[in-house]
Amino acid sequence: MLKRKMLRDLMENKLAYSACLVIITIGLMLYTSISIVMDNLYEAKDNFYREARFADGFARIRGMPEAQVSRLAAIEGIAEIEGRLVKDVRVLYPEQEKNVYLRLVSLPGDKANPINTPLLMEGSPLNQNTREIWVSPSFFEAQGLALGEQLPLLVEGRALSFTIVGTAQSPEFVYAMRTGRELYPMPETFGIAYLPFAVMKTLFQEGDQVNDLVFLLQPGYGYSDVEERLKPRLESYGLLSIFPRENQASHLILSMELQQLEGSATAMPLLFLGIAGAILYILLKRMVEQQRGQIGTLKAFGYTNGELVLHYLSYALWLGFCGGLLGGSLGIWLSFPFTEMYAIFFQLPGLSSQISYKYVGLGMILAFIFSALAGYFGCRAALKLQPAEAMRPAAPPPGHHTGLENWQFYWNLLTVQGKMATRNLFRNKQRSILTTIGIMFAFSMIATTWYFRTVAEILVFEQFALVQTHNLQVNFARPLSLQGVERELGRFPGVKRLEPMLEVPATLKYRWLEKDSVILGLPHDAFLYNILTDKGERVAPPREGIVLAQRLADELGTRVGAELLLESYWARDTLKVEVVGIVPQYLGSNGYMEIEALNKLLGLGSLATAALLSLEDEAIPALRERYREAKPVAVMEESGALLDTFDELMASFGYMQYVFAVFGFIIAFAIIYNTSIVSLSERKRELASLKVMGMTSGEVLQVLTFEQWLSSILGMLAGIPFTLVLMHAMSRAFATDLFSIPVRTEAGLFIVALLGTVFSVLVAQWTIARRIGGLSLVEVLKERD
Amino acid sequence: MKVILEGKGLAKWYQMGEVKVEALRGVDFQIYEGEFVVVLGPSGSGKSTMLNMIGGMDQASAGELYYLQEPLHLANEKKLTAYRRHAVGFIFQFYNLMPNLTVLENVQLAAEIAAHPLDPYAILAEVGLEDRAGHFPSQLSGGEQQRVAVARSIVKNPEILLCDEPTGALDFATGIQVLKLLKKFQQGYGKTVMVITHNAGIAQMADRVFQMKDGLLAKVYSVEKPIAPEEVSW
Repeated sequence: MLKRKMLRDLMENKLAYSACLVIITIGLMLYTSISIVMDNLYEAKDNFYREARFADGFARIRGMPEAQVSRLAAIEGIAEIEGRLVKDVRVLYPEQEKNVYLRLVSLPGDKANPINTPLLMEGSPLNQNTREIWVSPSFFEAQGLALGEQLPLLVEGRALSFTIVGTAQSPEFVYAMRTGRELYPMPETFGIAYLPFAVMKTLFQEGDQVNDLVFLLQPGYGYSDVEERLKPRLESYGLLSIFPRENQASHLILSMELQQLEGSATAMPLLFLGIAGAILYILLKRMVEQQRGQIGTLKAFGYTNGELVLHYLSYALWLGFCGGLLGGSLGIWLSFPFTEMYAIFFQLPGLSSQISYKYVGLGMILAFIFSALAGYFGCRAALKLQPAEAMRPAAPPPGHHTGLENWQFYWNLLTVQGKMATRNLFRNKQRSILTTIGIMFAFSMIATTWYFRTVAEILVFEQFALVQTHNLQVNFARPLSLQGVERELGRFPGVKRLEPMLEVPATLKYRWLEKDSVILGLPHDAFLYNILTDKGERVAPPREGIVLAQRLADELGTRVGAELLLESYWARDTLKVEVVGIVPQYLGSNGYMEIEALNKLLGLGSLATAALLSLEDEAIPALRERYREAKPVAVMEESGALLDTFDELMASFGYMQYVFAVFGFIIAFAIIYNTSIVSLSERKRELASLKVMGMTSGEVLQVLTFEQWLSSILGMLAGIPFTLVLMHAMSRAFATDLFSIPVRTEAGLFIVALLGTVFSVLVAQWTIARRIGGLSLVEVLKERD
Repeated sequence: MKVILEGKGLAKWYQMGEVKVEALRGVDFQIYEGEFVVVLGPSGSGKSTMLNMIGGMDQASAGELYYLQEPLHLANEKKLTAYRRHAVGFIFQFYNLMPNLTVLENVQLAAEIAAHPLDPYAILAEVGLEDRAGHFPSQLSGGEQQRVAVARSIVKNPEILLCDEPTGALDFATGIQVLKLLKKFQQGYGKTVMVITHNAGIAQMADRVFQMKDGLLAKVYSVEKPIAPEEVSW
């Protein structure tokens, strides 16, 4: 019979409990779907890495005879080591405007299961003697290729045709980006191709040289032990970089993504269940107060305390159960499109979603714990009542002066309704605090999601409008003399300005910290690549010393005035250089010097590895055509192309932002609505008296809304610093060598959050206004609370 | 004498599930400006129902009700609110003060919404509570709370004061004090006062008495010589 009472009680406040249910459901839906996606990714990753024997370490060198590689296997701690050729070449698409690149990776012909074995997805094995290649599946699809098709490539200035015989995926290129300058994989312009070493070495006239090493560690050995032993053996072959799997670009991004998912899987359910729990607590507490008489009667009948607590707990547990079931089911359903979305970015063979009840179960337990806690604390007052006492009406709430009243200026400004509201705020401290915190969360949730969009736009805008103001970057296959570059490109029709650039991979060391980075040498009056301070002022590339990106400086633990050690294969010795400035940099993390000074420091002549060009848009196709097959030109990059694809990405991710904004609205609505319902039921009599006195429904509503606006305004004010804290935390969590997210406090951000929050508060108040309009004066005043 | 309120065949019934409960079964009455009317009757006789309709808190099921020729039975919610706001003052058995407003603020609350309010301080002095202005209702005795309620109603300067068992929850002495205030308002300001009670003693101080029974007006009579509140006994 008590069950029936519960169902009817729940029905009476459908909207209030539904709002609670929705929040629980959202929390568990996110929990379940994120957890399942995470599991899917982990499983696919682990299986793939194991089967494909993903390398533990990587090294890039200028060149080393292939025969020498096997000797390195004797180094203590190395289980296996292989040498490869890795080269970027251009695909010859005469009809295509943009440049498409393919990274050729050689495969040892004599080994069935080499390190980083590409998994053949479709097609046939490679012939060891003819020009046959496998290409990465995403590239295959994006280019609309077919098996057996001929793909013309520009290799060392020669146009050569290759037959595509299959598609294959390597663990090295799960997240395939050509350089650190891109933000995400773009298979439209970049792909991977695999071919036998025997074939590949004939394409480049470098004999039996390899330029890339991969190795597996023996069990029980750490990477750093091996690096120490391997590094000196590679110095003489022109060691460009050596790094563990943890720093491999594709792996690094996948791990970071997993880390973020793990964070969300913990934070999201806690946030949503916490809010739902708090609302539930307040609802139940009020119900127990209201049903004092009923509780007394039931106790007088002989119902035990246990039975009564169980009865009131069952309200919360039912909600937890329904929310858990609903959220879990939705989560499973949602995990499928989520996983598919990840499959677009992460090329993990075997990545698929499966129904998993584990997280539904765990989610339900979580929901049960939260609702049981909320329920128990909400209803424990029912235990303390003696039957006779319970049947008597509760003592009237005492009035109190509040601290605010001493603040004469504010107090005198208020109408009597305002004074009532202010005192009410203090009368129900718990509830006011909950409202404030809830509004703060809702506000910050809207603000931070919006922040990501604005910040992404800022990032791109600044990078292309303020930092990289060139519209074409030409990278050379090998360093060229400054005069030569100027002579060749500077006179090309349509070129308005040309600036040479020297990119030097180097290891920077400060005390016991070291970091691999790229130092950019730019002209002192560089105009096409600008180094900016956080206030947007230009910093000239220094003729003395080096300017560091903030992130690089942080990682080295260094500051202006410190002396760094610089190692590079371009220099014979370890060099010393002083830090003369630190600047923010959002895309990439570099060091900057004046180009001649950098050349001099390294003991080079006057060299450049790239040229930045500002030229008429119409001149671009002609320039591209002119140098398409030129051997010294490795890559031509157009700024606009990158910008376009970035916009596409933002558009497809935009919906996430709306989803989270909606979650924010729901939270704000649920909190305001539920606290209003509770206030209304508590103060029905007070409010009805006001109506009898002749106040309109609107004036009566003001008493409630004034109070809510007070806590909402407090909540929104608290939301501003809270948003900043969130933004800083996220900025730190998301920062990588590739890009970091600046914390910008745009007023627009807070205006959007303000409007969003105010909107949901108004909707909640509108539903309450209708209830006040319907208050029956006669009945309310007849009953004694 | 000017008729301030007039009821014609005023009836009210409630549908309680399948049972129709007739609270008021058609009453005719006239109330004159400035008089003191006491409505007597046992519980369930329909007196509170009648008062609620006169107070603009409830709509009649049948019949007509006029306030100065204004048909209240046809008035919408907006008009009723304005009527309650400007024409009527209500006093309940259980005070219904705002618990978190002080005595003075409770009175000011009513004054704020009225068209021609009286001075809250002066009214508080009149009910003898000027020295308790800063107290909250929970710090007052029942009699004091009821005096605040009276002050709250009077401060609006209404034409009619409607009182539902105003002394019902009070002891004899404090009850008399409240009655004195009501009389003072009627005589001092020349306003109409209507008191509902099942306490026959109070009827002696009225100008006219309505006796109700089973939802009908059983008897209406004038009191020859109304006695002063101090002389009332029960």
